[in-house]
Amino acid sequence: MKKKMLHTFGAVAAAVIMLASCGNPSTETQATSAAGTAGAGTTAVQTEAAGTAEGKDSVIVTMPTTSEPESGFDPAYGWGAGEHVHEPLIQSTLTVTTKDLKIEKDLATDYQMSEDGLTWTVKIRDGVMFTDGEKLTASDVAFTYNNVKEKSTVNDFTMLKEAVAVDDTTVEFHMEKPYSIWPYTMAIVGIVPEHAYDESYGQHPIGSGRYIMKQWDKGQQVIFEANPDYYGEQPKMKKVTVLFMEEEAALAAAQAGQVDVAHTAASYSDLSLDGYSLFSVASVDNRGFNLPATKAEEKDGLLVGNDFTSDPAVRKAINIGINREEMIQNVLNGHGTPAYSICDKMPWYNPDSEVSYDPEAAVKLLEEAGWTAGSDGIREKDGVRAEMTLMFSSGDSVRQALAEDTANQLKALGISVKTEGVGWDVAYDRAQSEPLVWGWGAHTPMELYNIYHSKAETGLAEYSPYANETVDRYMDQALETDLEGSYGLWQKAQWDGATGVTQDGDIPWIWLCNVDHLYFVRDGLTVADQKIHPHGHGWSIVNNVDEWDWK
Amino acid sequence: MKKRLCWNQRTKTLILLAVAVFYLAGVAVWGLVGRESALVTDFSRKNLTPSLSYLFGTDWLGRDMLARTVTGLSISIIIGVCAAAVSAVIAGLLGVAAATLGKKVDAVITWLIDLIMGIPHILLLILISFAAGKGLTGVILGVSLTHWTSLARVIRAEVLQLKESTYIRTAEKLGHSKWRIAKKHMLPHLIPQFLVGLVLLFPHAILHEASITFLGFGLSTEQPAIGVILSESMKYLVTGKWWLALFPGLMLVLTVMLFDLLGECLRKLTDPGSVHR
Repeated sequence: MKKKMLHTFGAVAAAVIMLASCGNPSTETQATSAAGTAGAGTTAVQTEAAGTAEGKDSVIVTMPTTSEPESGFDPAYGWGAGEHVHEPLIQSTLTVTTKDLKIEKDLATDYQMSEDGLTWTVKIRDGVMFTDGEKLTASDVAFTYNNVKEKSTVNDFTMLKEAVAVDDTTVEFHMEKPYSIWPYTMAIVGIVPEHAYDESYGQHPIGSGRYIMKQWDKGQQVIFEANPDYYGEQPKMKKVTVLFMEEEAALAAAQAGQVDVAHTAASYSDLSLDGYSLFSVASVDNRGFNLPATKAEEKDGLLVGNDFTSDPAVRKAINIGINREEMIQNVLNGHGTPAYSICDKMPWYNPDSEVSYDPEAAVKLLEEAGWTAGSDGIREKDGVRAEMTLMFSSGDSVRQALAEDTANQLKALGISVKTEGVGWDVAYDRAQSEPLVWGWGAHTPMELYNIYHSKAETGLAEYSPYANETVDRYMDQALETDLEGSYGLWQKAQWDGATGVTQDGDIPWIWLCNVDHLYFVRDGLTVADQKIHPHGHGWSIVNNVDEWDWK
Repeated sequence: MKKRLCWNQRTKTLILLAVAVFYLAGVAVWGLVGRESALVTDFSRKNLTPSLSYLFGTDWLGRDMLARTVTGLSISIIIGVCAAAVSAVIAGLLGVAAATLGKKVDAVITWLIDLIMGIPHILLLILISFAAGKGLTGVILGVSLTHWTSLARVIRAEVLQLKESTYIRTAEKLGHSKWRIAKKHMLPHLIPQFLVGLVLLFPHAILHEASITFLGFGLSTEQPAIGVILSESMKYLVTGKWWLALFPGLMLVLTVMLFDLLGECLRKLTDPGSVHR
């Protein structure tokens, strides 16, 4: 049946192409295998025809429609430095993250933090040009940072007081408070030219990065061309076309041979496509759920805390009562790795977070804590039933499947879990009292802080009620020390031998899996080694598109 | 009319009516009883093609699509019945009020009908459903508040026409009270129109429930609603899992057609023009 449908698709596709190409039949040899689905299809076909002859140096990549930067390619509105961090391509950054997520210099030739941690002095490369021919100076850097501090709504720049250009190649960052992981922020903020910046900068960006944005058809595609004056190594891929489409459209485009790299999901991973192979990238794009760690009470009309999950024994039992390997097989067709923290495999990850699946121990924990099975098999203690609602964002099939599988697995422990699809308009508030399936994972330890550190106003962490003074203190210290020294402190915040957020500690969040990012890649294309992808299935793949190669 | 041997139009209509009612009631009850099994997920049986044990196949969470489809349809039927009943009551009240309470009231009600008919149905539905917090109440409110207009018009016209008819005027001249005229002479004439109108609202209500849920403004995604099933299946059609969309879609069409047929039958049975064929 599948075959038959593919044939039908093929026939329709061929017909479309025949109609589309009767104007100039000579150039369309390659296109006979391609189908025209959307407007973007036509462009793809043309591009391909242009790059076939000898040594292809262009590539067509698909991305989810949500990857298209709504407010343009402006770091102040989230380009590179948004919810999903990535290298900004068009602009260059002061530092870059390496494959093992340490820091390397890019525009910066040297950076130093003062003794008190309140001043960062950065020397920048001399002789770097913007693509409009103007020189990039320290005042552009200072302008960029002051601008993002003022405007950015998607990333936090409150630790920065002000950036000052001392001379043409030296910039000083004056901080409000010590922030040892500042180099990770410097790795995502693309430097914009002060002389060519206005409100519409995002629509036609100018930078000093590896690529120049040539064309942007909103809702369809962006075309990048290599920057001939780039100060680093010349990109091997001279032209990069990014098409924005849903997974099913990307699959259809790959089936029709229109694209070189098509993003895809685990549910499509068992398909085999002629001329393509599945390319899987490890990620820290984790999925997990919060377990409110305080007793239920009403605060300003909002229910905060949960009587059932506030028992540490319950949280521990859930953490070891979930078979992550089986879940990854069930939900992701095996394309994932078990997650034990928000930052698996990062330099600041504490391996003590890892646990092994042990249902007997989980049951024992519950029994010892006084949760005994009632007549219907669901446990109870002092009139509190062992039940909770596990929410997921509606329409996200992976999160829904994770929630369902969690519910099935926890039932075996005598815990009743109801699943519910919710919209993000209510999810944040409801997660204060009920578990929600979240997705996190970024290239900065700040995420640990955001999840586990208590806030001054409430005394509880932001996304799910939890507080531990010792954990807070380690993270505060980590921000005050130097970068190299901070890694150890971030690890101690997770587990210091006595307390923390792991199985032996408070375990206020359960981490389930890191979702591998999957792509169908055309045979012959070598996608360069990827760093561990952060949350977001979009731009990360093209972080190093300049190093990709055709065989 | 040609004479038929034993099954005349009326018997045939009655049989059709019985079949339709039986099917719809059956689906509604089966769906409610089987609601639990529609929610069961079992990853050991995911993505199965239709077979004897799973007639409609299973989806990516290993849910039985037959149970889901039937439960989804029963939810649709219940929403349809509620929404159609509410809109029919609104239509009846406003239609009669417009025709009997004088020029000014008539003008206001006619204006209201025009206003609501002037806005595209689905748009108004989405607005109301979203404002009422989506979910079951949102959908029922949305469908009921948008579907009464055409029936209200029919009722209003019918009452206006009746008011001018000779036998009503004669009754008035004979000194009967207004209430008695309404009850004895007008109501029997209106009831068939009203009933048929009510039944013909069902298919509309069901289709609109399915469509706003499909668009994501109706029932929540863990519910086995037809709209949810169909919108989920879109993602898997491209991988050749045709059964996820085909059977639920067919069942939806069948249900809607049966309701339509039911309305037709009722009309034939109650309309004086066709009742004796």
